[in-house]
Amino acid sequence: MSELSSHARETTLRVARAMYPHDALPDEAYEKVVRQIEVEARGNEAIGATIEQGIAELDDPTPFKDLAGDEQLAALLRVEGGDYFNLVRATAVVELYDNPLVWKALGYEGPSVHLGGYVTRGFDDLDWLPDPPIELDPTVGSHHR
Amino acid sequence: MPRYRYDDEDVVAIVGSGAGGGTLAHELTKAGHKVVLLEAGHHHTPDEFVNDEWRSFKQLAWLDRRTTSGSFRVAKDFPNLPAWICKTVGGTTVHWAGCCPRFMEHEFKTSTYYDGMDGVNALDWPISLADIEPYYERAEAKIGLTGTNGIPQLPANNNYKVFANGAQGVGYKRFHTGRYAVNPVPRDGRPATIQDGFAFQGSKNRSRWSTLYTEIPKAQATGKLDLRPGSHVIRVETDGQGLATGVTYIDADGLEQFQRARIVAVAGNAIETPRLLLNSAGNLFPDGLANSSGQLGRNYMRHLTASVYAIFDKPVHMYRGEPMAGHIEDEAPNDPSRGFVGGYYLQLLSLGVPFMAAFMDPGGWGREFTSAMEGYTNMAGLWLVGEDMPQQTNRVTLNHDELDQFGQPVPNVHFDDHPNDLAMREHAWQAGQALYESVGAVRTIRTPPYPATHNIGTARMSERAQDGVVNAFGQAHDVPNLFVSDASQFTTGAAANPTLTIVALAIRQAEYITDQLRAGSIPSGHAVWDGRDPGGAAPDATELPGQTVGAS
Ligand SMILES: Cc1cc2nc3c(=O)[nH]c(=O)nc-3n(C[C@H](O)[C@H](O)[C@H](O)COP(=O)(O)OP(=O)(O)OC[C@H]3O[C@@H](n4cnc5c(N)ncnc54)[C@H](O)[C@@H]3O)c2cc1C
Repeated sequence: MSELSSHARETTLRVARAMYPHDALPDEAYEKVVRQIEVEARGNEAIGATIEQGIAELDDPTPFKDLAGDEQLAALLRVEGGDYFNLVRATAVVELYDNPLVWKALGYEGPSVHLGGYVTRGFDDLDWLPDPPIELDPTVGSHHR
Repeated sequence: MPRYRYDDEDVVAIVGSGAGGGTLAHELTKAGHKVVLLEAGHHHTPDEFVNDEWRSFKQLAWLDRRTTSGSFRVAKDFPNLPAWICKTVGGTTVHWAGCCPRFMEHEFKTSTYYDGMDGVNALDWPISLADIEPYYERAEAKIGLTGTNGIPQLPANNNYKVFANGAQGVGYKRFHTGRYAVNPVPRDGRPATIQDGFAFQGSKNRSRWSTLYTEIPKAQATGKLDLRPGSHVIRVETDGQGLATGVTYIDADGLEQFQRARIVAVAGNAIETPRLLLNSAGNLFPDGLANSSGQLGRNYMRHLTASVYAIFDKPVHMYRGEPMAGHIEDEAPNDPSRGFVGGYYLQLLSLGVPFMAAFMDPGGWGREFTSAMEGYTNMAGLWLVGEDMPQQTNRVTLNHDELDQFGQPVPNVHFDDHPNDLAMREHAWQAGQALYESVGAVRTIRTPPYPATHNIGTARMSERAQDGVVNAFGQAHDVPNLFVSDASQFTTGAAANPTLTIVALAIRQAEYITDQLRAGSIPSGHAVWDGRDPGGAAPDATELPGQTVGAS
């Protein structure tokens, strides 16, 4: 299999989205998952067959992409642990969250050294708890020494 | 930098340039010995490191094939990644965090304190805390640990504020920002931390101790170190007397080379070390080199390990700042009334979004998973690290069904949790959750063990040759010019992160090697040179045997 069919691409995107639903994320974030699966399927008959079979199973009787949200979840639970499910899940959990767009949406600031780290950018700006001691309380002593 | 000849009879050949091998190389070259340091990985420099979890992983991690078996969850979640360690000059010190507690007295005497446990292959160390204390002091000064040698504690970061307030909330008394191997102020030619939050990706500004830019360049400055990156050792060779003659390795050009050596020291981390010795079996050593005890590869320990993440209704931004600068000692003592022997530490931990997704709940999906990820900014985290029990059946063996890129059998890591490990993990999870609940966590998440960052015990020290692989100085009982210089030699694992003890033992071992060579008590192996071009520079007349020792 050299390329995924547009149906396979569309369905895989919906599957990834149903597995890792973040309502605020655009489809674009999930397209990265599909692209990676496409790379893995390229020239690998076995993966191609896994995708074809997995989608056929999910589309029976109603195409997965036409299902409502809770029906999609039920369909996924039915195929959980199968090869196609595992392929999409394992790829999605890496590819989806390995993306600056998603980091931003989740509030993770990513690379920091080029900005001087966080030493002057909020590494200790939490203010809803009192500042705790940073040294061992000398009156209790350590279990060491 | 010298290039020693392949047939040089005086060199100490060290396998692996991490905490054990890098430190040993520095200590031995400082004492005047010629050292060839063979490292399978490339020589990356800090400017090449990337603040990006997966890209960095691909750059630095040991990704050669490994297999797993046994009932531990890692075998299911990460079947080909039993351990997360580095393959690069500097070894795993390139992306460690830096928590450095010492061991406690009773942790050297497990057969005394943990007696009568089913399935536990406990043994007392042949050394006590008192024997290692002077070397702990030297190791702490070398590494530059916070809270020692006049070095201040690190400041509280956001994640620590939650952690320490929680500690107070549940009544813990002994907590602080850690004995931590990161400069809070400039020291030893390296700057202070900029709290960039990237430890497990390599310290770009070098504020975290790593042999890559401390021990190894210092060893090079002595003019005695021959560092050979891209050199994967496949066999320790021996002669008809059962003495080591040198090592066979595949060099950076893919060519097989033999480096003759006076002494061979193996520090490949506790999976590769026993694998190399098992792969070095020969006529005199049918079950693997230095394995007359049958203990080589056995008693593999990986520490308790588990984590708790907690979500609050206010922001934490745990990823800002030193990821592990927080340490609680209260659960560390041996208190069997808790339903298990040994103890554990609670330590600060944060991961970035990519690794949080991979490790928080391996295999997890659906809204439960994504809602936790959506709590990322309001999340705090801690790690649970405790002593796991040595079991004979937890072991590294050769998997003859799978060969690596050099045709060598790959290591299989077999591990079953001991009931004591399970009881301790349950206690530790509960303790971590209670800690966060005491400061208002709205949700807590129990995270299962990661691929091992601490690998211990596969060539253990023992008083008697029949009980272990090496003696109190890491010298093989069966092969007196073979040494083990990493956490493989730990008799038991203790609760503490291992690196401080690895470094202390390497300093002590270097002293021992120097003394023993001077006294003429380490025999030499006899290699017959096979007629190949010995390569390298001609030996320097001032570096002949007998004059190489004791220069410092
Ligand atoms: C994410 C992370 C965080 C950590 N945090 C801490 C912490 O806070 N505190 C702590 O104490 N410890 C920590 N550790 C553990 C610490 O990194 C190790 O204990 C330490 O580096 C082990 O030292 P070593 O010399 O045994 O092996 P390593 O440092 O792993 O070095 C072994 C080297 O040997 C090389 N090698 C292996 N086999 C061969 C061969 N056949 N030929 C040539 N070269 C070979 C490898 O490529 C590697 O470079 C952490 C580890 C990780 C992964």
